[in-house]
Amino acid sequence: MSDPIMTVKKLNFYYQGNVHAVKNMSLEIEKNQVTALIGPSGCGKTTFLRCFNRMHDLYPGHRHEGEIFFENSNLLERTDITELRSRIGMVFQKPTPFPMSVFDNIAYGLKLKGIRNRAELADRVEQALKQAVIWDETKDRLKQSANGLSGGQQQRLVIARALAVEPDVLLFDEPTSALDPISTGKIEELMVKLKQDVTIIIVTHNMQQAARISDQTAFMYMGELIECDKTERMFTNPKQKLTEEYITGRFG
Amino acid sequence: MASSIKREQTLDKLFSGITFSAAFLILVIIVSIFISLFRESMLAIDAFGFFGFISNTAWDPVRENFGAATTLYGTLITTLLALAMAVPVSLGIAIFITELCPRFLKPIFGTAIELLAAIPSIIYGMWGLFTFAPLMGEYVEPLLQKIFLPIPIIGKLFTGVPLGIDILTTSIILSIMITPFISSIVRDTFALTPVQLKESAYGIGATRWEVVKDVMIPHAKTGIFGSIIIAMGRALGETMAVAFVLGNKHAIATSLLDASATITVTLANEFTEADTDLYLSSLFYLALILLGMNFLLLAIAKTFLARKGKG
Amino acid sequence: MTEIGKRKFVNLIALSLACAAAALGLFWLIFIMADVIRHGIAYLTPGLFLNEAAPPGMAGGGLKHAFIGQLLITFFAVLIGVPLGILGGTYLAEYGRHRTIGRFISTLSDIMISVPSIVIGTFVYAIFVKPIGHFSGFAGSLALAIIMIPVVLRTTEEMISLVPWEIREAAFALGAPYYKVILQVVYRGAATGIFTGTLLAIARIAGETAPLLFTSFNNMFLTTNMNEPMPSLTVTIYQYAMGPYDDWHEMAWAASFVITLFILGLTILGRLIIRWKYKN
Repeated sequence: MSDPIMTVKKLNFYYQGNVHAVKNMSLEIEKNQVTALIGPSGCGKTTFLRCFNRMHDLYPGHRHEGEIFFENSNLLERTDITELRSRIGMVFQKPTPFPMSVFDNIAYGLKLKGIRNRAELADRVEQALKQAVIWDETKDRLKQSANGLSGGQQQRLVIARALAVEPDVLLFDEPTSALDPISTGKIEELMVKLKQDVTIIIVTHNMQQAARISDQTAFMYMGELIECDKTERMFTNPKQKLTEEYITGRFG
Repeated sequence: MASSIKREQTLDKLFSGITFSAAFLILVIIVSIFISLFRESMLAIDAFGFFGFISNTAWDPVRENFGAATTLYGTLITTLLALAMAVPVSLGIAIFITELCPRFLKPIFGTAIELLAAIPSIIYGMWGLFTFAPLMGEYVEPLLQKIFLPIPIIGKLFTGVPLGIDILTTSIILSIMITPFISSIVRDTFALTPVQLKESAYGIGATRWEVVKDVMIPHAKTGIFGSIIIAMGRALGETMAVAFVLGNKHAIATSLLDASATITVTLANEFTEADTDLYLSSLFYLALILLGMNFLLLAIAKTFLARKGKG
Repeated sequence: MTEIGKRKFVNLIALSLACAAAALGLFWLIFIMADVIRHGIAYLTPGLFLNEAAPPGMAGGGLKHAFIGQLLITFFAVLIGVPLGILGGTYLAEYGRHRTIGRFISTLSDIMISVPSIVIGTFVYAIFVKPIGHFSGFAGSLALAIIMIPVVLRTTEEMISLVPWEIREAAFALGAPYYKVILQVVYRGAATGIFTGTLLAIARIAGETAPLLFTSFNNMFLTTNMNEPMPSLTVTIYQYAMGPYDDWHEMAWAASFVITLFILGLTILGRLIIRWKYKN
């Protein structure tokens, strides 16, 4: 069964000023499955997530040790970061539509990849919007500004934008924490559907969400990986006391 | 693929380099302004020195004897008088807008006051020369003389023929021009007063004015100070409005109704007429002194406001 | 009077003074505007825009030469100043936002905004007019551009900083290099703000007189040669107002009216755009 697309080995991450945010993490990310990262605020789960697409490279003063194997090489040592990021996409907490039309939002990543052909662009935009189940809501307003969509629609648009470049992995950083329950439900459904095409890693505050959608769950505390297991096992029979206390809501 | 990545990296370096150069240009311009004004002033610096220049009351193009004392005096006296008039009015305006103005009028009134800052200085000059100065000379100044001349000492400030082209008129116009600068900054800092602070003052029975005086003004201290310095810099460097109504007379005036000259007016009127190298160089020297004063003032204001921003 | 009564009385006096100060501010604005409009409209004729200057003392004539000169000088100032200001502001808000040099230049620009414009005029005289030996329209544009750059730079910096940082991260996450993130995403988000900032900067330089006195100087004749002394509306107003002829004064008023209308119009437009765009 084990078919890891990425393997994390002894990953350490330090912010500016030697703040040790991720400590000695080792973890396997299964292909075409949903991996949930849970833990209390400040436990390092978002920091860890942002290592996968090298988001930290945007800021000075950080340092990392260890390895994340992806396609037979350590992605932490790759120099083609823009290429890497088009393979490992990301969706953020707040919807981040670009200040342009719905169509241009989706086409943006494709144009970055050098696709200029109008017919091909139109085709792939439609495909991505359908994949993110937002085609019906946007097909009549492709030329209108994406800022006119509702929050939940914007978040699905952003997912469509990330899907359009056909990534292998999608990183979700608390994608529903700014949304209402109905929009949240739609996005959870979408994530479960998407795992046939992509591998998903999601950071979430919401343990029910992790239980509902993930196949594998990793619990982090104070920068360390406390426990990682199949989700159903983790939530029914956690091995660590700390995990149990967190899951049952005794802290966090 | 690899080559396209390389291309992207090169383009990114290029764009970052271009934007950096554009930003760096600010530094280059400022340094060049100082260097070139200093170089052009060398002749006058050699001839008169620094203290010799600023203490010399002569400004005599025929004998080539130049000093900055009269223009510095004119610059400082008009600026200080303008501030003395503008500060209370600006505070009043800021208090009015934050505390008394009906909500729906706030943006309109605020914009109206700020439009005073948008009117070009040459318009203040036109209005000053053709409308305001005659009014001053014909009505206001004779009245002031009637009131103050009999009083000893203070009367001295109002001697002379009331023409309207004088220090008093200039200072009033300058005060109108700088009022919006002070009032808008003070208004912004007033708005930052924590509501709980104001409410707790009201809670112990303070009147509205007492809340303003004892809570808002102390809280806005740094902002008020910074805004006054910025306004002072603006008044020091104001040229056209002053050029119309001050009369360009190089003398130490003892009456508010005397004509005078500022550094800026001297530059505006004499720069293109300076017929000797030393004359021109002395004018550059004046410009350098003005720049120095202005830069110093603004640097002080910035440090103050920046410290406030941090704390 | 009781203590309370005294305090209430002081309160009343102080608040009345604040109202009086506000009324005074409004009074000046209305006084000046009414004066400019009254004189300006009275002397506004088509000839003002269509005719060139008549010889001093002769009747007739207009300010066509000064209008055209003003437009040319302003146009080239915008051409130089706006791109440099926008690019510099981009550095401060993006590549240089965490660097000491960025913050230093940002503060320096704030100080430079307050440098007296006549000092900029003497500077351009020293580095440009003197070496080439004559006044020119270009020198005037250069002086105005130098005044504009820090203004545009600071507004650009502020407007770009208002674009949420997450939007940039989202673009990076799609694999966009930084320059494309800026050019294609950030600039779009900040476009209205930068445009408005530019409008306000144009309003600011359009009324400048002092820096033109010894750079573009003046010219009684129409010229489109930027390498010659060039008339501007503002310097012409100054010259005509200080001159001895009544019809010069009238034309100075008419020109003042036009320039005030233009500048206040731009300023109000800019403020409306900002209010409309950033109302939330």
